[in-house]
Amino acid sequence: MYSPNSAHLDVESLPEDFQKLGAGLVFFSDLLKELRDFEKDLARGELSGKMPGRDNELAARLKDLHASLKHLTWQTKQVASGDYSQRVEFMGEFSDAFNEMVAQLNSRTKALNDELKVVQAQAIDLARSNSLFESISSNITEWIVMIDRETGEHIFSNHPIKNDLNNEILEEQLFDILFSYIKDIDPSASTVTKQFPLVGDTEIQYFSAMLYPVHWREKDAVAVVLTDITKEKEVLKELEHIAYHDTLTGAYNRHYGMKLLSDWIEKNLHFVICFLDLDRLKYVNDAFGHNEGDNYIVSVSRILTRFSRNPYICRLGGDEFMILTSDCNQAEAEEKLERLREEMVAKEYANEDGSVTYKRSFSYGVVEVSGGNKIPTAELLSVADEKMYEYKKAHKAERNSKAKP
Amino acid sequence: MNVFKKDLGVHNFTWANLGDIKEGRGDLGVDMPVLVYRLMQYTMLDVLTKAHGEEAANDYFRAAGHLAGREFATHVLDLTVGFNEFIANLQKALRDFKIGILRIEQVDPDTGDLVLTVAQDLDCSGLPVTDETVCNYDEGFIAGILFAYSGKNYNVKEIDCWANGDRVCRFTGTVES
Repeated sequence: MYSPNSAHLDVESLPEDFQKLGAGLVFFSDLLKELRDFEKDLARGELSGKMPGRDNELAARLKDLHASLKHLTWQTKQVASGDYSQRVEFMGEFSDAFNEMVAQLNSRTKALNDELKVVQAQAIDLARSNSLFESISSNITEWIVMIDRETGEHIFSNHPIKNDLNNEILEEQLFDILFSYIKDIDPSASTVTKQFPLVGDTEIQYFSAMLYPVHWREKDAVAVVLTDITKEKEVLKELEHIAYHDTLTGAYNRHYGMKLLSDWIEKNLHFVICFLDLDRLKYVNDAFGHNEGDNYIVSVSRILTRFSRNPYICRLGGDEFMILTSDCNQAEAEEKLERLREEMVAKEYANEDGSVTYKRSFSYGVVEVSGGNKIPTAELLSVADEKMYEYKKAHKAERNSKAKP
Repeated sequence: MNVFKKDLGVHNFTWANLGDIKEGRGDLGVDMPVLVYRLMQYTMLDVLTKAHGEEAANDYFRAAGHLAGREFATHVLDLTVGFNEFIANLQKALRDFKIGILRIEQVDPDTGDLVLTVAQDLDCSGLPVTDETVCNYDEGFIAGILFAYSGKNYNVKEIDCWANGDRVCRFTGTVES
């Protein structure tokens, strides 16, 4: 009985009165063997082995344990798959420990799920923001670049700068300029705006850069919004040209001439003012029409361009011109004007259909303005005007004789 | 003839056939000893066995259990929830109604087949363990519950039973093809 594997009892060899008892002992021995095999399986955690039969009442408690372990195995799988409703009952201290473990898992999973929901909501918000940012940055035609202040490294760019540059060689020049601005920028400044040209072999591009100092990814950086303002510059130049030039002759207009005169006086420059008036323009207009009069005005404007290397020729209005120059003194200016006048007078000018010729000429008065000039602008012009008038009067007889057809 | 007598429809069981127990047993209450339940069940089994033979009597019991399981599940349990919640609810209901302690041992998610035990069973706990299956009513009851939930016909068999004080029975439930 204590060694059921080797025990053997020959029931039939027993006296008849003991054979039933012997058979009972054999049956009991079989139950014990079955029980011990079952115990071995349970001790190894083997729950799918051979089960003791219904007759084996000795194994009932172990079968209870086996059933509990089978149920517990299923419950554990359920918990692993997220079913936290599982509770172990009727297993004493183990029930408390298991149930506490499941409750903790449930609580932590809920906390994690709550946290996950928050993170997912944040991720959705972030994705939306990122999408919005990408949409904005990709649709903005301006070039946006984030540059590390220390290294000059490009941390972010909404699109390659090459898109904005007509010439790739300018890229290096551009970054040198930007980095020079970035190095000088005050980190506490809110925004700095710069405008600069990029000079290529054949063309100039103008850019406006708005620089925003930022602290990004634990780095001091500068966000640069770069705009190509070449077209705007061209428009501005055209507007400036229109604002400062006479449309008929291309010379500077009265507004520019007076502004320049005031600037030079204010800067105490040494220069000469030449005041010119076309002779007999009214006669030409009346006799040959305003087109011919305009031709007359343009021809004087052109000949005056040869006055000196860099004269400021201004049409003050109608038949009046003014030259401002610091290239010569009064006597030299009078000499040059006289030479140009004589050159003009020597020629014969025909009207539009060539049927009539006439003379063109101009009168002038020159005033030299010294560096320490205290005379008001209007008075200087008045003096020049008087000189011109005297000149005109002196040459009237000559003009009358030559101009008549 | 009493024309006011209500036709109770005894040949087609409905939940209403159980009557209003609370109202009908104002002083005695809704509970009664298991002894009385078993007295009715096993005397009925005795009569049926003598009248129709043991196999036919067991079949009647199994069929009655199936009907009871279906009605119990339909009127007590929520059949719309997921399997895990359904099993949890079923365990609780069987305990609350003192029918037994249900423990699932195995579920095949693909086939729906399962293995379970019922301890301290209302019908057979305390009965001597024999080679013969005695939990025929339970087999039907479990199959009826599973049918009500899944719509599948389950063949439920008691495959083991042991007792040393508390009696525990193990059942397999196999979906019939």
